[in-house]
Amino acid sequence: MATETGGPAPAGPATENTEKKEQSKGQAKGQAKDQQPAAGTSTGEKKLSGAELKKKAKEEKAARRAQAKAVLTAHAPAPQQSSGGDGKGGKGKPKQDGAKLALRPASTPAVPKENKPSIPACFSHLSIAKRIDMTHADKDVNPAVLVLGEHMSAFAISDSITRLEATLLAFKKVIESYNTPLNTTFSRHFTSHVLNPQIEYLTACRPMCFSMGNAIRWLKLQISKVDIDVPDFDAKKLLSEAIDSFIHERITLADFVIVQTAAEMIVDDDVILTYAHHHLVERTLLQAHKEGKHFRVILVDDPYERVGIDLAKKLSTAGIKIAYSSDLGALRTHLNEATQVILAAEAIFSNGAMYARAGSCDIATAATDLGVRVIALCETINFTERVSIDSLTYNEIDPERCTNDGFRLLFDTTRDKDLSVVVTELGNSSATSVPAILRKLEEL
Amino acid sequence: MVSHPAGYAPDLEKYLKTLKGQQLDTSVESLISLLKRRQIKGSEPCAVATAHILLQVVARSKWHDVDGLIDNISRIGRRLVEAQPKELVIANIVRRVLGLIRDEAAEDRNEGASGTPSEAQMTPTDTVHPDPKWPTSTPTKQDSVIDQVPNSPKPVLQSRPTGLSSYSSVNVPKTLFHLLSVSGPNDAESVLHGSPFGNSGTSTPSWRGHSAQVHSLRSEVIDGIEEIKDEISQVDDQIAALAEVQIHPGDYVLIHQPSATVERFILRAALKRKFTVLIATEPPRKQSSEVQHTSFRKKLAAAGITVINIMNGGLMAYMSRVDKVIIGAHAVVANGGVVADAGAAAVARAAKEQGNAVIVLSGVYKLSPENPFNEESLIEWGDSSSFVGFEDGAMVSGVEIRTAITEIVPPELIDTYITNLGTHSSDHLSSLIADHYKQEDVDFHLWNEGER
Repeated sequence: MATETGGPAPAGPATENTEKKEQSKGQAKGQAKDQQPAAGTSTGEKKLSGAELKKKAKEEKAARRAQAKAVLTAHAPAPQQSSGGDGKGGKGKPKQDGAKLALRPASTPAVPKENKPSIPACFSHLSIAKRIDMTHADKDVNPAVLVLGEHMSAFAISDSITRLEATLLAFKKVIESYNTPLNTTFSRHFTSHVLNPQIEYLTACRPMCFSMGNAIRWLKLQISKVDIDVPDFDAKKLLSEAIDSFIHERITLADFVIVQTAAEMIVDDDVILTYAHHHLVERTLLQAHKEGKHFRVILVDDPYERVGIDLAKKLSTAGIKIAYSSDLGALRTHLNEATQVILAAEAIFSNGAMYARAGSCDIATAATDLGVRVIALCETINFTERVSIDSLTYNEIDPERCTNDGFRLLFDTTRDKDLSVVVTELGNSSATSVPAILRKLEEL
Repeated sequence: MVSHPAGYAPDLEKYLKTLKGQQLDTSVESLISLLKRRQIKGSEPCAVATAHILLQVVARSKWHDVDGLIDNISRIGRRLVEAQPKELVIANIVRRVLGLIRDEAAEDRNEGASGTPSEAQMTPTDTVHPDPKWPTSTPTKQDSVIDQVPNSPKPVLQSRPTGLSSYSSVNVPKTLFHLLSVSGPNDAESVLHGSPFGNSGTSTPSWRGHSAQVHSLRSEVIDGIEEIKDEISQVDDQIAALAEVQIHPGDYVLIHQPSATVERFILRAALKRKFTVLIATEPPRKQSSEVQHTSFRKKLAAAGITVINIMNGGLMAYMSRVDKVIIGAHAVVANGGVVADAGAAAVARAAKEQGNAVIVLSGVYKLSPENPFNEESLIEWGDSSSFVGFEDGAMVSGVEIRTAITEIVPPELIDTYITNLGTHSSDHLSSLIADHYKQEDVDFHLWNEGER
């Protein structure tokens, strides 16, 4: 996705980076009423809006400056919302303070007034994605990032690894379009003045996933390592290459290895039970089938987001025998048939708990009860040092269903005791050895 | 007599209205087809319908002694059970009525000196019967019909040969009446038309003394069935009366696809307590934007209770917040397993994981003495066309689609059972079963299963 958006990205909006914060605040106040979640509507509009945005901003700058202060004070005492944001996504410390405040006012007037009060109080600490109209985004946000943010908030790009990859590609565009202003150096200016607003915007669109946090921390480290004497062109090239190899190693290759490893664990006459849809599981099953293994699949779908139907079609087209269950009903019966359960994780906490699509935990516990092996697939980039022992510590609310009338959490946390094995690109390990892997990764 | 075609009565209420105007056999047939078509579904409607039809059987079918009545009831009961074998309450009600008749009969016998208890008569028939192809009860029925004439108190063994011969000779023309009926001729005809022969017997003078006894038995049994009907209608209230004990101020109560019983229970608690209700809704079969359980939500909101509709398939995510889980049962089997809406097992399992109490609400009439030898036998699989259409060729041809409507919640996941008689642990269920059913009726519906 990021590639297509990258094309139209003019260096214009991103390079002008003065006083962005105040401006964005002001704008939002004026225009935030009709927020339209135009997810796919896309590139053309975005280019315009970027340019328009700049003009307007300049015209109204004076007036806004005055307002901005008022706005800031008015919205400052609404911190619960931001707490949700960093609960899930807050990896980098810097963005939390300055950054979030800058964007928050932009979104607060419109979105929260509709949604905020209706989020059930007992879940109000959790984060939630929200649609931010592109015209209300910080003007320094790169168009590529703008589009990405739209996609993320609309859940067009939803799983952890895809989001990570798209983010990195978008950041590559940001780096490419950057020119260091006079009297500063790349490594000191870029992160705080250019990269952070992008991150803030993405976080506001949808709380960052753990892998994004990890990757952004890595990226900032790489940027800070750039020697101040290196010319811009070389620095940018260096970083672009670093990002490419990061994507290659931690995502592309990692996925490849995981799929191979997991496919090897499937043997003839297995009955694999899986939940909803994840690309790793899909690839694993197809790979095992390609290797000529004969097995059956029972696909249990998420009843409120039937992403499994397409997977069922794909697998059956590929020639895999598949049974599709629309919800968790009669789960034990299905598990009695199954020989292995394969789930894919959104993240794994350092206590070995798996953070995955809501419902995964139900399946894992029931499988463990019945003595069925539970395999979790996860790239190590999704590992996090945080610890979670229940599902309400870190979670995300479905923005479409966030009221008393209909409420849905997107994730749940499966304790390590219910996972038989975690398959990563570094090999198979038990869930309890996640912290060891994390430490090893730090050494690399 | 107005006799509606079966398809004319699409639900319980309309069905009950037709009962009076209809011939008994028509009513039975129409109930069977309603059950088969799931036009009467759910444990309470099924129980009520069964009680009504059995009452009609007692009141209007022709029978001349206890055995005849037991035969009529169990034969019709068996057909109802076969029409909807996953609705355990039907069999439960039949067993209750059978037990009732046996009790009344035993009382009568003790008063008058009219001989052996009914079990003694039934048992030899069941065990000795040589040919499994015949429903064991059929000859008994025939016996009793024939035996009215000599009015012999112990007819069974001595008259079997006559019974069988009379079956073949006399009953053959009768089967013509039922050429088009759903069931095999044995059942229907002997139940519904076998008895009219007996009428000739009633006119003999020696019968008269007996007839008074039959009359009193009839009215007593009818009273008993009325009591069962009353019991069914009061169950929700009686269970709700126990709500305050279970729900405490500040609780987060998760209810899974609340039935009327559960709603009543929660509303009663809402009178005295402030708590939060999480409703695990049924997955939407069709795309619709309307909020589920709207009226229930309104009532709770009026009582100042916060209600949240949870739209997750797996509810593990919520369990660290939830204090207790309440599940309405379709039926409870003897080992304590609960037949409930699909998804309940996952909810109960999740609650167990966090150590939250799982409370099952069930009328005693839903408590079944049966013990399923595998869970699957009680899972009802339903229609999946609402999310996979037939135009979707790839899915229809290549994928096996399963949608469970009900499933079994294993007993180890359940902490407490609340019935109209109070609060029980699963260990106590067996004594409840013993109180409510006669041992000899437990398997009544299996008697002729061998022939299928």
